[in-house]
Amino acid sequence: MQNKGTENMVEIDVLVVDDEEDFASALTARLTLKGFNAKAVTSGEEALPAIANDPPHVVVLDLKMPDLGGLEVLEGIKSFAPNIEVIILTGHGSVANGIEGMERGAFDYIMKPVDLEEIIVKINEAYEKYKMNISK
Amino acid sequence: MKKKRNWFSTIIQSTLDNILEASSPLRRYRKLRIALLFAMIGISMIPLSNVAGLGYFQYEDLLKKSEKEQLQWNLNGAKKSIETFVGELQSVVNFVARDDRYEELLKQEALEDLFARLQEGYKGFVDLGVIDCQGVQRSYVGPYNLKGKNYSGQDWYEQANIKKVYISNVFLGYRQVPHFVIKVANEIDDTGRQWVLRATINAETLQEFTSKINTKAADEIFIVDDGGVLQTSTTSYGKVLDVYTSPDRMDDSILTVFAPLENTPWTLVLVKKGYIHGEDWASFQKRLLIIFLSFMVICLFVSFIIVSILIEHMRNSDKRNQEIQAKAEHSNKLASIGRLATGVAHEVNNPLAVIQQNAGLIQDLLEMVEKNKYSSTLDKSLLAVQNAVNRCKVITHRLLGFARRMDVSLEDIDVNELVKEVLGFLDKEAMYNYINIETTFSEDLPHIHSDRGQLQQVFLNIINNAIDAIGKDGVILIRSGTFDDNHIELEICDSGTGIDPDALEHIFEPFYTTKEVGKGTGLGLSITYGLVKQLGGRIKVDSIIDKGTIFTVILPIHYAE
Repeated sequence: MQNKGTENMVEIDVLVVDDEEDFASALTARLTLKGFNAKAVTSGEEALPAIANDPPHVVVLDLKMPDLGGLEVLEGIKSFAPNIEVIILTGHGSVANGIEGMERGAFDYIMKPVDLEEIIVKINEAYEKYKMNISK
Repeated sequence: MKKKRNWFSTIIQSTLDNILEASSPLRRYRKLRIALLFAMIGISMIPLSNVAGLGYFQYEDLLKKSEKEQLQWNLNGAKKSIETFVGELQSVVNFVARDDRYEELLKQEALEDLFARLQEGYKGFVDLGVIDCQGVQRSYVGPYNLKGKNYSGQDWYEQANIKKVYISNVFLGYRQVPHFVIKVANEIDDTGRQWVLRATINAETLQEFTSKINTKAADEIFIVDDGGVLQTSTTSYGKVLDVYTSPDRMDDSILTVFAPLENTPWTLVLVKKGYIHGEDWASFQKRLLIIFLSFMVICLFVSFIIVSILIEHMRNSDKRNQEIQAKAEHSNKLASIGRLATGVAHEVNNPLAVIQQNAGLIQDLLEMVEKNKYSSTLDKSLLAVQNAVNRCKVITHRLLGFARRMDVSLEDIDVNELVKEVLGFLDKEAMYNYINIETTFSEDLPHIHSDRGQLQQVFLNIINNAIDAIGKDGVILIRSGTFDDNHIELEICDSGTGIDPDALEHIFEPFYTTKEVGKGTGLGLSITYGLVKQLGGRIKVDSIIDKGTIFTVILPIHYAE
């Protein structure tokens, strides 16, 4: 399992945006163990400057956050860095919200709680998409 | 301002309040029925009774009037014949007592001769006398020795001097036999002095005559004088010379009419007893009673039927309202439970994710450190955490699915085929449990416009439930058919344990399960319910304990939002 991440020739940069700090930190730690270059921020406001400073390949974005919500963050990302792929992750999200996110440019959505394997699969897929975006 | 009420609406209101206060609906309807029945019978019977009463009294009056007229007519007839009779007697005496016969009649032979002739014509003549101007009877023919008797001072004698012709009342006189006197006064040869011819007539003559003219119309006919003394004998008012007292005026059954007899001191009386036209009146009463009673019976019957229909109608509409209300309450309850459940699921999902990821992290980290004697225990306990999280995840995801407004993807579906596909998944399980699944598919079942995936889930859930209800050994019958022009229906009937009525109310609520703990989430049927509703259909369930349960799914042929 551990070498799944290291199999990637390039280390994939992942930013986890979730107001649930315990979740964000644990997920980041596990992704790091799997060989991803994962970081976490715990609010929508922090997310955009963090992305602007150090653009990741893939963002794992919680939909429902206080103040600046996931969909607004998604729109912000897509406005200045359209190549970055966003995976929507939500404990509250109905399918409709997930679909709305995808309509606004998200790569896919996953409902909490979710297996790490599932997230890794989605991140890898999103990264493939990212690479295609870049090469265009 | 307080609304003014009249006494009538107050009565109605208090009656209604009284009825509506009745404890059980059954008693309420019974009371209402009785009140309505009374009201309707009252409304119909009051005018009927009025009309019948009016007719009764009107006809009675009419009969009385006509009866009285008839009696009066009879009276007039009788009066005329008696007057004629008395007049005849009078004119005979009058004729005999001509002015110039005074001297002649003073002779005994001449008077006897005259008396004999008079008696030939009228048997009633008792005696005959000639009285001079001093009141002394100068000559006399008769059974008594009355010659020379002085009558001056006697009432009849004085009366005769005033009136030319005088008829006396019946009296006993010297003879002690009822008789009356006709007396004619005349001048003696223009001298200014008067002589009198006096004829005594037996009262029996009058009696005979009145008896002869007794008509059918009257029960009694008799003569009284001015003082009410009977001049003839009667059957019920006494004998001759008794005093007649007219019957009580209030006694309606006796009708008495009077007529004075001209030139006599008498009054003729006719009496009719039980005077109303016997037969006419009786038949009228009978007919009136029959008509009244038959109308009453008809009114009762019609009132009863109308009230029954009304009450039945009311009861049905009340029942329908209650059912609709109960249904609305039930689906409201389901909806709010659904909202609550999904709200809880949302909130639980985040902490679940935290537990999951942290447990996962610990696991990942443990894999990287050297194994020690606690490693296997730690692994086991972390696995238990993961399993618990997964179980919760299944529940929350299904709950969210329960309320989820998933897009419905419509296609043309042959429900028969779809059910066959679903049975394909369940064949093995049924076989292991010795459950025989029999299907009766309607061949001309119309295809419906609906969502395949959701329908599959619906039937999977219900049939799964049926299998669980049976356990081992049993039959599941599946039947499809047309419900109405716009709906098809699918019945899934199992020979399972049945659901008791209390549970039946709750089976579509989330987390309601009768299965043992851990075996069912209690979400299957609530999801099924939600899905069927979303597809525009409805789901019914009937169950008999120890016999089985029938789920009926009714689906629209054309999907409408």
